[in-house]
Amino acid sequence: MRNQVILFVEDELLIRFVLADALRDVGYDVVEAATGEEALDILDSPPVIDLIITDVRMPGQVDGLQVARRSKGLAPARPVIICSAHLLKSEASPADEFLAKPYTVADLLEATARLIGDPWQKNSNSHSA
Amino acid sequence: MAEELQQPQCLIVADADVLIRNALAEYLRHCGYKVFEAATSDEVVTALEEGAVEIDALLADASLSGSLNAFELRIWVKQTYPDVEIVLAGNIDSAAKAAGHLCDEGPHLARPYDPESVAAHIKRLLASSRRRHL
Repeated sequence: MRNQVILFVEDELLIRFVLADALRDVGYDVVEAATGEEALDILDSPPVIDLIITDVRMPGQVDGLQVARRSKGLAPARPVIICSAHLLKSEASPADEFLAKPYTVADLLEATARLIGDPWQKNSNSHSA
Repeated sequence: MAEELQQPQCLIVADADVLIRNALAEYLRHCGYKVFEAATSDEVVTALEEGAVEIDALLADASLSGSLNAFELRIWVKQTYPDVEIVLAGNIDSAAKAAGHLCDEGPHLARPYDPESVAAHIKRLLASSRRRHL
C-alpha cells in the first residue's frame, strides 16, 4: 500500500524544512511548495495528493486560501489544513482543520492524523496482526 | 553490541521549477538521503547560515534565481562551507545524471531506478504542465 502524500505549502524555509521532515519521519510522503503558484502547479500535475497543509500569506499572486479553494474544486473530499498567524478560524472557510500560528510539531501531526490517519499506527497494527 | 545509528547524509536540491525540484528530491530520498528543497539561492543561503540542517552536498540548477546566481552561489558556498559538495546542472538530463552519481556515492550504494527515467519523468511532467497552460 502506498504512503499517504501531503502537499505542504509554506514560504518560510526553515518552517518548511522542519515540518516536512517531521511529517516524513512519521511515515508520510511530503511534496513541498514554497509559494501558492507552486502549489497550483503540483495540484495540476499527476502526483496524487491526499492532504494539503498550507500557510495563508505567501509572496506571489496566490495565497493559501486560493490553494485550498482550488483543491476543493478539484477534489472536494480531499482535506485541507490551513495554518495562519493572521486569520481567525471562522475566516479559514475552505479548511477542514485550522492551526493558529505558532503551533507545535505535535499539533500538526495530531491534526494530520485526525484527517488522514497515522502511518505509524497503521504500520504497527499491520505488524502486530 | 548495539549497532551504532548513522545519520543519513543531507542534501539540498535547489531549482526554481517545483516539478523538477520535487522529482529530483524524491529520487534522492529513495537513494537514502535526507533531502531539503530550496526554490532560490536565497533559500540555500538561509538554510546554510541558519545551521538548521547540516548539509553534505548541494545539487543546484545552473540558472537558479535569487540574490546570487548559481555561479556566485557556488563560489560563496565553496568559500564559506568548503566541506559541502556542489553540483550545478545545466539541464534536466545533467541534473538527473548528477542525481544518479550522488545516488551511486550515497548511503544505499544502489540506484532505486535509472536517472534517465527520472529525466524522462520530469520531461513528461513539464510537457503536461505546458499543455495545460497554453
